[in-house]
Amino acid sequence: MAKIAIDPITRIEGHLRIEAQTDGGMVTDAWSSSTMFRGMELVLQDRDPRDAWVFAQRI
Amino acid sequence: MRAVEDALGIQIPENARLIRNIMEGIQYIQDHVIHFYHLTALDWVDVVSALGADPAQTAALAQSLSNWPLSSEAYFAGVKDRLNTFASSGQLGILANGYWGHPAYKLPPEANLMAVAHYLEALDWQKDVIKIQAIFGAKNPHPQTYLVGGMSCPVDPDSQNAINATQLAEVQRLFAKAKDFVDRVHIPDLLAVAGFYKDWAAIGGGVGNYLSYGDFPTTPSQGSDQPGDLFLPRGIILNKDLSTVHPVDQQQIAESVTRSWYEYSDNTVTKHPWDGETRPNYTGPQPPYDFLETEQKYSWIKAPRYQDTAMEVGPLARMLVAYASGHDRVQHWVNTALGALGVGPEALFSTLGRIAARGLETAVLAEKVTDWVNELTTNLGNGDLRVTNTEKWDPATWPNEALGWGWTEAPRGALGHWVRIENGAIANYQCIVPSTWNASPRDGEGIPGPYEAALVDGTPVADPEQPLEILRVIHSFDPCMACAVHVTDPERNEITRIQIV
Repeated sequence: MAKIAIDPITRIEGHLRIEAQTDGGMVTDAWSSSTMFRGMELVLQDRDPRDAWVFAQRI
Repeated sequence: MRAVEDALGIQIPENARLIRNIMEGIQYIQDHVIHFYHLTALDWVDVVSALGADPAQTAALAQSLSNWPLSSEAYFAGVKDRLNTFASSGQLGILANGYWGHPAYKLPPEANLMAVAHYLEALDWQKDVIKIQAIFGAKNPHPQTYLVGGMSCPVDPDSQNAINATQLAEVQRLFAKAKDFVDRVHIPDLLAVAGFYKDWAAIGGGVGNYLSYGDFPTTPSQGSDQPGDLFLPRGIILNKDLSTVHPVDQQQIAESVTRSWYEYSDNTVTKHPWDGETRPNYTGPQPPYDFLETEQKYSWIKAPRYQDTAMEVGPLARMLVAYASGHDRVQHWVNTALGALGVGPEALFSTLGRIAARGLETAVLAEKVTDWVNELTTNLGNGDLRVTNTEKWDPATWPNEALGWGWTEAPRGALGHWVRIENGAIANYQCIVPSTWNASPRDGEGIPGPYEAALVDGTPVADPEQPLEILRVIHSFDPCMACAVHVTDPERNEITRIQIV
């Protein structure tokens, strides 16, 4: 039994952390975590809806 | 954009529909090829092993796969020399940090050298073909000519100040170049590499439920629930059962924050995105830490569910829904690949199937997009230069309150926006992006997300210090999360951090 954490996972876009429990050379449990808050919904609050796509496009 | 157009009842002109399809089409093709060569290939291709390849045998291998003109002994000898120069000077650069020599690498040195050569070629190729985005969108990434109501790039074959005949010819040239590389390099490489890794057709399947919103309208849209005919269809596959394609109802989507670092003001368990809230509430450990508190909240991603069910989204979901819906070209490409590998459709529900589906979708799009360029050219020839519908541009024409939702299929999968407009301003906006579905943590019922389910579906870890197999499963989904730019000095110390949203 071993628990491993891979953070950051590279060769992707963004920040992803994977924790995995292994036993006998196999993954027996796993947890996926995004380690950064995005918050685009709060950025868009109260803005002109015609501008929304310009902000949301950055996601 | 579609969410706002849906809320305000705006229908876009035909030319805008075509231009959006064309821009999205080349984005798929570029994204998918980059993913294959630059984001996932090195999980399967051992760069150091390529140093031991025989260039003559590499050329023979490449020539047996396709008639790509660069596949000569001298060419591969040159690539090997370049690689040797880097390696012997200790400067493998972006290739330095691989798990080279890991026992899970199965390709012979010649296949590795061929793949490394195409990795380098694809770098050049992608920067050229994506110019299509810049022609219509002024720049890439983040093209600037979208507009609520259509597009803001003028089209006129006779004008020097618009997308004209010269530029449309350049778009066709670039699409031909894109398709040629996909047909003669990408797909042959995909099938050749996959042939060495057929055991991965039984690893990393996961939740077995697949959601596609569908996209690329081929007829006018009348709003989000009447999107017109979609080239890639909308639908749901449940429990890996390809005999039935279920309809998709946006009301059945809800997000849980039970295991995410958010709270809902009224303590409800799940919320539909029209009622969604983004109230951050970090309760995790203070860094540095060894492990997250995975029995509690552990992610900045919410857990979206469809009828309380975890859904995988992305090219595999799209190809499965299209395949099961009887899509002619998807069936052709999927059956061709299954036949070449000597496996049945059940092989699709896997890490290998996910990677293969992305390549096959690239082939399907590469042969389709020129049709839309031709349609656009015909419209312009007939004098239809409309790209924008401005009837409801003025907020005075809007209702006091409006609800809308808009869906697209981004290259990485189902992407939905929900908007509530009140008195001309956004009262609430919620985005559920593809990686929210796929990278989702557990929900209030403890149901794991697609990454989590895929990792416990037969994934081996030969060496916990080099968890290459975990990377294979995760990379097969093509993750895209909130990101940041890290600026480091030559000694690799981080000097400042800038968040990009």
